[in-house]
Amino acid sequence: MNKNEIHDIVISKVVSLVDTLPEDKKFSVDQNTTLFGNGSSIDSLSLVSIIVDLETTFSAEYGLDISLTDDKAMMREKSPFESIKSLAEYISELVNDK
Amino acid sequence: MYTDKIVLITGSSRGVGYIIGKYFLDNNAIVIGLSRGASSIDNRNYFHYEVDLAQPDAITRVFKIIAKEHKRIDIVINNAAVLTSQYSMIMPLKNAIDMVQVDFLAVFLVARESAKLMRKNTYGRIINISSMAVSLEPIGDSLYAACKAGITTLANVMAKEYASMHITCNTVAITAIETDMLKQHSPSARTKIKDIINNLPVPRMAEADDILNVIEFFASERSSYITAQTIYLGGIN
Repeated sequence: MNKNEIHDIVISKVVSLVDTLPEDKKFSVDQNTTLFGNGSSIDSLSLVSIIVDLETTFSAEYGLDISLTDDKAMMREKSPFESIKSLAEYISELVNDK
Repeated sequence: MYTDKIVLITGSSRGVGYIIGKYFLDNNAIVIGLSRGASSIDNRNYFHYEVDLAQPDAITRVFKIIAKEHKRIDIVINNAAVLTSQYSMIMPLKNAIDMVQVDFLAVFLVARESAKLMRKNTYGRIINISSMAVSLEPIGDSLYAACKAGITTLANVMAKEYASMHITCNTVAITAIETDMLKQHSPSARTKIKDIINNLPVPRMAEADDILNVIEFFASERSSYITAQTIYLGGIN
């Protein structure tokens, strides 16, 4: 599984979330979309929802059991959840470690 | 009443779990039962999975299978529990660990794995079966009562986390009911339970319908505004 595929999966999950938001809360999605911290367009529960979607998708569709919220992720100086790009890169690392 | 609803019940092979399973099946639900032993319910709408709820990995594994085979869950009854009633200073460590794993950690895991499936349909009812021991705090039940108190707190916090997904989380704290499990208690334990029952505001054992009445209330589609609530049976509060 290459980086582009992972990137597309992350984008698709965020887009799916945006589709459920009311019109005045919708936002455009690209690789620099902020998911966490200052400037984030989504609340913490929405981020949880994206994380669950991603873990479920990688497990059910690709047979890859990854945990996006273990100590490895949380102890990083730069959070993997800052943007779609950083999250895709982090997942790429996890997938390559498998 | 529950046509097309998928109900998951832990500890479904006997006792209160069996009673609840039969109730939902009699009311046209599809029931998924989890228990350590083999199925004791013969019904074409009943799907049984043998799982040791003391093993967190086993719970995660069975939910992957359930997600694949059933796609969704609408109602969860967290019923399974183990009880060793013993003075805390002489409680065997293994029994203590079993209680924490089955009565507390498994409830957390089953609720959250179910919620992951429920969120897709933005609908769900999570109902935890607690105990009169939480309020009565009987000698010998320190860990059991603490675990049962803990699952009330779990339900209350999860109620907040899942509210936006229209998933409610509630608890029914039941009194003793005449089941095969109760008959397996030692004579001294049965005497202790009878003494407790005799001192309840409503001094009798629970009957199946006392429990089902509250389950039905929490499980109802009409109860979308009822969450983070605990109902005690028998006049306890």
